[in-house]
Amino acid sequence: MNVHELPMIIFTILAQMSVGAFVVLGAIQVIARVRGRVSGEELDRLTDPTLYAIGVTLVLGLVASIAHLGNLVNVFDVVRHVGSSWLSREIILGIAFAGLGFIFAATQWFKWGSAGLRQALAAVTALVGIALVYAMSMIYTTLAAVPAWNTWVTPVQFFTTTLLLGSLAVGAALMGTLMWRRRSSDDATDVATTDPGDLHIIATALRGIAVLAIVMLGVVFVVTPLHLAALSQGDAAAVASAEVFSGAWFITRLLLVFVGAGLLGVFVFRFTRTDQSDPRPLAVVATLAFGLVFVGEFMGRSLFYDQMMRIGM
Amino acid sequence: MSEKLGFYFDQTRCNGCRACQVACKDKHDLPVGTTWRRVVEYGGGTWQVDGDSFQPSVFASYMSVSCNHCEDAVCVQVCPTTAMTQGEDGVVHVDDSLCIGCRYCEWACPYSAPQYDADRGVMSKCDLCRDYRAEGQDPGCVAACPSRALDWGPIDELRAEHGELAAIEPLPDASITSPNLVITPHRDAQPVGTGTGRIVHEHEG
Repeated sequence: MNVHELPMIIFTILAQMSVGAFVVLGAIQVIARVRGRVSGEELDRLTDPTLYAIGVTLVLGLVASIAHLGNLVNVFDVVRHVGSSWLSREIILGIAFAGLGFIFAATQWFKWGSAGLRQALAAVTALVGIALVYAMSMIYTTLAAVPAWNTWVTPVQFFTTTLLLGSLAVGAALMGTLMWRRRSSDDATDVATTDPGDLHIIATALRGIAVLAIVMLGVVFVVTPLHLAALSQGDAAAVASAEVFSGAWFITRLLLVFVGAGLLGVFVFRFTRTDQSDPRPLAVVATLAFGLVFVGEFMGRSLFYDQMMRIGM
Repeated sequence: MSEKLGFYFDQTRCNGCRACQVACKDKHDLPVGTTWRRVVEYGGGTWQVDGDSFQPSVFASYMSVSCNHCEDAVCVQVCPTTAMTQGEDGVVHVDDSLCIGCRYCEWACPYSAPQYDADRGVMSKCDLCRDYRAEGQDPGCVAACPSRALDWGPIDELRAEHGELAAIEPLPDASITSPNLVITPHRDAQPVGTGTGRIVHEHEG
């Protein structure tokens, strides 16, 4: 575990997960509305708790990033070099994504403005989030001194994490929302019930999430060997950073992602085909899948920072 | 535009004594782990077949490096606060009133010039001994070298006198940052990218 860069691991993972979750949640909204079998209010009721959870996650990430700094006295000077430094751009986009996200969450909470206006705001927020992940990746990609980072692989890795963790986090959060509703209904009826309509919406969303997660899993398993092969052909620093991708830690990281994303994929399709009404197994699997992949990606990001091996002297 | 300053290193004269490294550390009172000027030994070798026997063919040379006050100073470009600044004379220094200690410049520099000062939480680096120069003295490392392997001055003059070479193994390719550095290479020096040796005896530094 790279303890030295722990704040950066936490920040990049949580921020990318937040962007991914926001984009995936938006996609679920758009697809469900286009299909038109569910009202906007009903959909918002299911997805809004996840939206608020994204906000909390992002704030935790931003707070962690501050722990990376040695001197907070001049922290507001961090935006000065926006014309040249990707780090300045990252901070500005991070704050913009958080700010727009909070405004959007507030409009959802208080039902301010028309639904169309809120959707437009969400679309702009998602675009800023994607720009944020791009800026984060450019911080590393542009460093000619670090062969393991100075490659197209870095943005691919970051966007893969974004979509993989974002989608699985939404899956777990939607199931959490459903289970919370189910538990809340206990007091009134003394019987735990789930609205079959809600379960159907979320199970359909989970199916899309499982497909996305498995595609992203495929990207991980294609890009990682390509990255390793390219580094192995490079100079001494490149070869040394390729050696980071070996051993029990690396294998465990790949296994966790593979099992997590694969598990959800197999289970969700079986579940939705057999038309079950008990959401509990699905909730357990969605949460487990997210947990396994989160740990796997966290371990992977630790390796990413272990690969900070520079050319020169 | 005023003239840019840089260092000259005569590798044929360096015997790896590290007087420059120690003089720098002493002059700037640098803590353990912070070494603005560093000397490394680059060594390697092969076997040559000579009839029925194998003869070792080995090489070793020293490289002394501090900040090269690069033309394309990547530390200045990546710094988010503009704390890393380059004066008209090309000398790159850290403005403590802006630095947040994010260490991005440390990642970016292939010469390990910006180094983190954990006590103050900001970056520190070679400023080509600004105070000594103001008094008309040579920088500490240059003055300390017993074999006169180091020199400094306007980079145009150094290049006119000693040539254009700015990189050999184990230094990075000069095209990355355009360092204001001139090297007279050791007879066994290897061009960048063709190195067969490695940095050896790192613990000595």
